[in-house]
Amino acid sequence: MTLLQVRDLSVRYEPKRQASLTAVDRVSLDIHDGEFVGLIGESGSGKSTLAMALLRLLERPGRISGGSITFDGHDITTASQDDLRVRRWRDIATVFQSSMNSLNPVMRVEAQFRDAIEEHSDLRGDAVRDRVRELFEMVMIDPKFMSAYPHELSGGMKQRVNLALALANRPRFVLLDEPTTGLDVVVQRSILDAVRRLQKELGFAVLFISHDIGTVMELSDRILVMYAGRLAEEQPASGLVADPLHPYSKGLLGSYGNPRAETVRVTYIPGRPPDLSRPLQGCRFAPRCPEAIERCTTVEPEFAPLGEGSVACHVARLQREPGPERVTGLPEPTRVFAGPEFVKTSEESDLARQAPVFLKVDGVSKVYERRRGLRVQRTQAVSGVGFELRRGEVTALVGQSGSGKTTLARMITGVDRPTSGSIRFTASDGQDIAVHGLRGRRLRDYRRHVQMVFQDPYSSLNPALPLRYALSRPLRNHRGLGAKEADSMAAELLETVALTPSSRFLDRYPHELSGGQRQRVVIARALAADPELIVADEPISSLDVSIRAEILELLQQLVRDHDLGVLYITHDLLSARLLADEIIVLNGGRVVEHGPALEVIRNPADDYTRTLLEAIPQPFERVG
Amino acid sequence: MSAGVAQSGTVDLPLGNVEEQFSASDTRWYRLVWSSTKARVGIIMLLGFILVAVFAPLIAPYEGTRTDFAPLLPPSGEHLLGTTTQGGDIFSQLVYGARVSLLVGLFGGIAATAIALVIGMISGYKEGSLTDDILSFVTNVALVVPVLPLMIVLVAYSEVRGVPLIVFVIGITSWAGHARAKRAQIITLRNRDFVTAAKFAGEGSGRIIFREIMPSMTSLVAAGFVGAATGAIGAEAGLSFLGLGDPNTVSWGTMLYQADAQGAVAQGLWLWVLVPGLVLALLITCLTFINFGVDLLSNPHLRED
Repeated sequence: MTLLQVRDLSVRYEPKRQASLTAVDRVSLDIHDGEFVGLIGESGSGKSTLAMALLRLLERPGRISGGSITFDGHDITTASQDDLRVRRWRDIATVFQSSMNSLNPVMRVEAQFRDAIEEHSDLRGDAVRDRVRELFEMVMIDPKFMSAYPHELSGGMKQRVNLALALANRPRFVLLDEPTTGLDVVVQRSILDAVRRLQKELGFAVLFISHDIGTVMELSDRILVMYAGRLAEEQPASGLVADPLHPYSKGLLGSYGNPRAETVRVTYIPGRPPDLSRPLQGCRFAPRCPEAIERCTTVEPEFAPLGEGSVACHVARLQREPGPERVTGLPEPTRVFAGPEFVKTSEESDLARQAPVFLKVDGVSKVYERRRGLRVQRTQAVSGVGFELRRGEVTALVGQSGSGKTTLARMITGVDRPTSGSIRFTASDGQDIAVHGLRGRRLRDYRRHVQMVFQDPYSSLNPALPLRYALSRPLRNHRGLGAKEADSMAAELLETVALTPSSRFLDRYPHELSGGQRQRVVIARALAADPELIVADEPISSLDVSIRAEILELLQQLVRDHDLGVLYITHDLLSARLLADEIIVLNGGRVVEHGPALEVIRNPADDYTRTLLEAIPQPFERVG
Repeated sequence: MSAGVAQSGTVDLPLGNVEEQFSASDTRWYRLVWSSTKARVGIIMLLGFILVAVFAPLIAPYEGTRTDFAPLLPPSGEHLLGTTTQGGDIFSQLVYGARVSLLVGLFGGIAATAIALVIGMISGYKEGSLTDDILSFVTNVALVVPVLPLMIVLVAYSEVRGVPLIVFVIGITSWAGHARAKRAQIITLRNRDFVTAAKFAGEGSGRIIFREIMPSMTSLVAAGFVGAATGAIGAEAGLSFLGLGDPNTVSWGTMLYQADAQGAVAQGLWLWVLVPGLVLALLITCLTFINFGVDLLSNPHLRED
């Protein structure tokens, strides 16, 4: 039976001071009782706006401008908030993206459950407590945490609590909007397993929204692909893997590779989504589409059934249901995205591992001390770690948060100093630097050799300063260039990271760029000092899956062209395999495994490495 | 108050390509301030005060310091608001008084903000160090010292009277609270990645504080300045009312002082008391209104969409 029926739903944003845009455009979908539906798309594709519209939680300047939402036979498109209050949390529940913020920080967890349960049921007193205990056991949290405040729970636990809270009144429909974004791979895996298990047991319907196609593919029965506010494709999960219809789906699928293969290939989608505040003509994906034909640029494709699913693509339709008219230039049907590709072969890695050692970490430990009154609290972040980095080689440092990988990066770059042990760096001019004792001017000089790429391109560029300033400062400080030379060099750096023509970018401010472009600027700034080693701390984890490979390729190209060494820090073994020649796995501040990338992935010797490996979504293996 | 990094509100919207973003970025600071009705009223009123102060010789019929008219004349065409017991023209005094208030507001505000910025920023950036301990100690001392008695003592014992002295006294007595706010603000900003990135770019502390961090605080500095200027205007009026102003210039404070000393209320000369008090209140109100607009810069959540 159809539980949720959406017809031609459109949502418009009409801010006062900016151009209005249609973020969700004529979207129709059905969700049946007990069905698990996935919704994927890049950021900015309108998926979260659609979610907010379905929950009727849109806030100004956004509004539903057309279409209808019917839940269980009742039209809720224009229902008043009072009518909706009865349904919310009883029929429709949700888990929001930011687990950190959706629990009330000044209320005990149990009280928050009590609110939700007492509002919608006759349970009172101890009955509520029993129900909460039952819910906690369902999501596998020790019931002793019922009386805890949210800040006493870890990120993963909070999101489990949110999930339990969503299920408190046995809803028929649960909307999950990127419920695991920002969490560790292993934690992410355990939460998604819990979602799937509970959904099977309790039989509620789910709309699971994510930009991470891998997890969606693994969990969902049916998948919707959204692009630039419109649905691009709808198919059963197995169908989407076996025979993706829309080139955009192929592009998203292409961002996953098999880490165990000798040569890994990952595609990415070049370009950016269109600006929805401007009039659009033809297919919205056409400018980025490798399969586009002439018709795509003029006629907007209808979203209509084809085979087992539905698709909005001229090419897919003509390939499968050729009409009477002849269309020239129609490409051959393909399963892969014929766009740019990132390739990593094992030969390259073998070669890189012969290079000379230039950074030696030896028996390094770090203890953080926090003074609380008279007591001193000690935290051992890193203990007895030793490894070597080679010129022109990419070494990945892999581990969960709290494994000490960021602490190590801070010590290698001289931000922090080790409690014991030594870090020695040999510069290309033969100078031997003891990194563990650097400070002041000598530390500043050391950073001519070692630079850093940060995790979040949104916070690592100063919002108040133009790119010209950000790039010319390291050139002037580290290379001693004059203002004019620094200017032309800054332009050259932007060209190196493929922001062309550089004259268009130099005077821009960071907020005018997309996430991927910002990360390119951050990389360009790191290159400005002409360093020998770049420490990249999760450089792709805050970017869309579809453009991650693009940044990886840029890094790899720089390694090749500039003979750079890269220390790549990540929680994700798949991206480590893609970029790195050598992998070091950290757990609890200790090295648990160390070896050539392919070797570590294929024959993991440590249990922890195996856990990390199993957490990688494998959409292709599930189906076949 | 929020973190105050300007223009962080645009990232949620789907990004178009660069050109459109550029032309569509309609969030320039002056438009934002202007978009608030209260701020608009405040700015127009303040402009009025500034015009009066600048063109005082053209607007006022007589010199503000002239006291050779007949005393206690009622309002008339020649003396719009009448004359004082010493034979001064109240309207002319009022017009010239605007100059003193605005000058003290401007320079007192600048002095207090500058001291607060340097001390607050440095101690915040070096949080936990000896420098911070010393600067924080000085700030705390300045906070607990009773400001008004200190001002009175400083002015009463000084050899010269006049606007520069008042500005100096206001500057060194009213920076502490603002310094505290700046210190707290910079502590939240200094651990941002872009500050670490600037260290990696080889920047020194001074440049990091004043080129990298301060632009993100501009709106707060502006709000602090407007607040400090308001306080300075009030302090000047207060000191003058206590008879500590410069006897050779006319300010609204000295007008009130003289009115009070001559028992103007008891004599029924209510215009003499009411008018300077009213314009003083109006000036402070318009500065407060402007601060509503400045708040929109530092706190994007207040912007109406």
